[in-house]
Amino acid sequence: MSTEVPAGEGKKDEQAEPLDVLDPNVTRFELVKEALRRDGVEILHYEPRFPVPGTKEEKRVVRTISFFFVLSGLAALGFIVAYIWWPWEYEFGGADTWSKWYTPVLGALLGIALGGIGIGILTWSKKLLPVEELMQERHDGASDPVERRLTGATLVHIGDETGVARRPMLKRALLFGAAPLGLAALMPIGGLIKDPGDALFTTGFNPKFNGGNPVRLMREDGTLIRPEEISVGGQITVFPAIPGGATLKHADSPTLLIHLREPDAEEARNNAYEMNKGSQWENLIAYSKICTHVGCPASLYEQQTNRLLCPCHQSQFHITNNATPIFGPATRALPQLPISVDEEGYLYATSDYKVAIGPAFWERERK
Amino acid sequence: MARFIAALAFVGATYTAFSPGIYADEPTDSALTLDEQRGKEIFDQSCISCHGPDAQGVEDRGPSLIGVGSAAVEFQVNTGRMPMARQEAQALRKPPMFTPEQAAFLGAYIQAIGGGPEVPEDVDLDNLEGADVANGGTLFRVNCSSCHAFSTGGGALSSGKFAPDLHPASAVEIYQAMLSGPQNMPVFADNQLTPDQKRDLIAYIKYIQDDQAQGGWDLGAFGPSTEGLAIFLVGIVALALATLWIAGKS
Repeated sequence: MSTEVPAGEGKKDEQAEPLDVLDPNVTRFELVKEALRRDGVEILHYEPRFPVPGTKEEKRVVRTISFFFVLSGLAALGFIVAYIWWPWEYEFGGADTWSKWYTPVLGALLGIALGGIGIGILTWSKKLLPVEELMQERHDGASDPVERRLTGATLVHIGDETGVARRPMLKRALLFGAAPLGLAALMPIGGLIKDPGDALFTTGFNPKFNGGNPVRLMREDGTLIRPEEISVGGQITVFPAIPGGATLKHADSPTLLIHLREPDAEEARNNAYEMNKGSQWENLIAYSKICTHVGCPASLYEQQTNRLLCPCHQSQFHITNNATPIFGPATRALPQLPISVDEEGYLYATSDYKVAIGPAFWERERK
Repeated sequence: MARFIAALAFVGATYTAFSPGIYADEPTDSALTLDEQRGKEIFDQSCISCHGPDAQGVEDRGPSLIGVGSAAVEFQVNTGRMPMARQEAQALRKPPMFTPEQAAFLGAYIQAIGGGPEVPEDVDLDNLEGADVANGGTLFRVNCSSCHAFSTGGGALSSGKFAPDLHPASAVEIYQAMLSGPQNMPVFADNQLTPDQKRDLIAYIKYIQDDQAQGGWDLGAFGPSTEGLAIFLVGIVALALATLWIAGKS
């Protein structure tokens, strides 16, 4: 082992005399070799794939590569033709229409075009380029101590030239100039911070949105709701009957109004929490539609098992027991909306929700 | 007297003609019409073990059918859900055991003894021409999509239950399902969604059924769950194979 000289070291010693690159007799390959040598790379092995040019084997490889390039070109042309002339407009039904193949055809042709180029180039480099084995010198450890000392001195010199240490006034003035600039950059973030007020604690059912009067319930299209319009064992999504009640302005207000069967309604009445007592109107019960986990619409109503499901994370709420969570990640019951029927026979909310709807937030418990 | 005997003979002849011999000595319920009688015969043979005598229900086996109406009966029987193969989370759609005619008899019988919702006769479900598909789409998204998914592919519910794919459902079946709220589906009676609105809704579902899957293979139209799973499995497997191939090459 000890007799073996590392290739790089040995080479340096052997070729102590550098190649005269300007000598007209030097071949091009020698120049290439010299260029590599100067970068610390040595050619260990170099031979052409096909030492004898024009063999049958070589011609076969050339044909294969050409095939892929031509295939790629044809597919690309096909892509252009399909892009322009293939019927693409939507047709109803369309079991046997050409248009439904528009996207797959484009995809397949583009795939073949790009794949053909790629496979061609790969085959070229693997099957035609010469076999070569190179070795590069390895540099290890930190930089040369001389280099480090020189660089360090240069940096300190640049700092010293500015004379900040000697001129404290300049330092303070610069600080005064730069610090507010940094603060100014933070201003756009400040614009995102604002006090939500009681927005998180109120919904569109709060009388304050209706001139202090209780808010009626309405459908998405704005029609008011009479209790007899909901089937037994049925459910309906309701909104506050105020301007913009079914819009994103009151996105916290969608409520699920459920018409329970008599025995289920009785059970719900008996189970009601203190704050939910009297919130039902006869067999109608209303819960916030917004899941207390992360705010998805928990509106999958199972009318026999009396469960409400949230489709996002499979939370389940027990309708006849204050909509307490019985499965899944939600930890709090869905808030119940106290409802009643006014003298004109329309359903209305006797007050806003008793607790904040939707997912938890920092100040939730503080109110 | 002769007329009385003639009338007796006519009644006897009719009865013998329509009633199978083995039931001949059973007392007949004169309040039931002929169709209802036939329904009762089928009921007493195939349904009674779970739904009990006179459809009163059997504890832990089958619910009472009093008040469910013919819509529920015909829906359950014509879609093959009833009779159930076994007690499980949910009755599954399968080839029906009875002909539509027999289902109609059964429906007539249950309707006669308990009443309940029926499909109104003046709703034209065979020809949905003129129904407002766009309005049906709005109604579908408000009322149905939370369980049946936006493209009617259905979705999961709790404890093994699920909202079925609506593609195999016929117009009448959809109407009956809305009317009766089969299994855990909420009821959408005619007071909640008018027959015209139901017709629009059915037209929308039919439109989706007849349309092609935009964008290729829809993976059952279940939405992000199956699509996510598919891209995860196919994508991750493809990437794993690619890394193995690259590692094997170098």
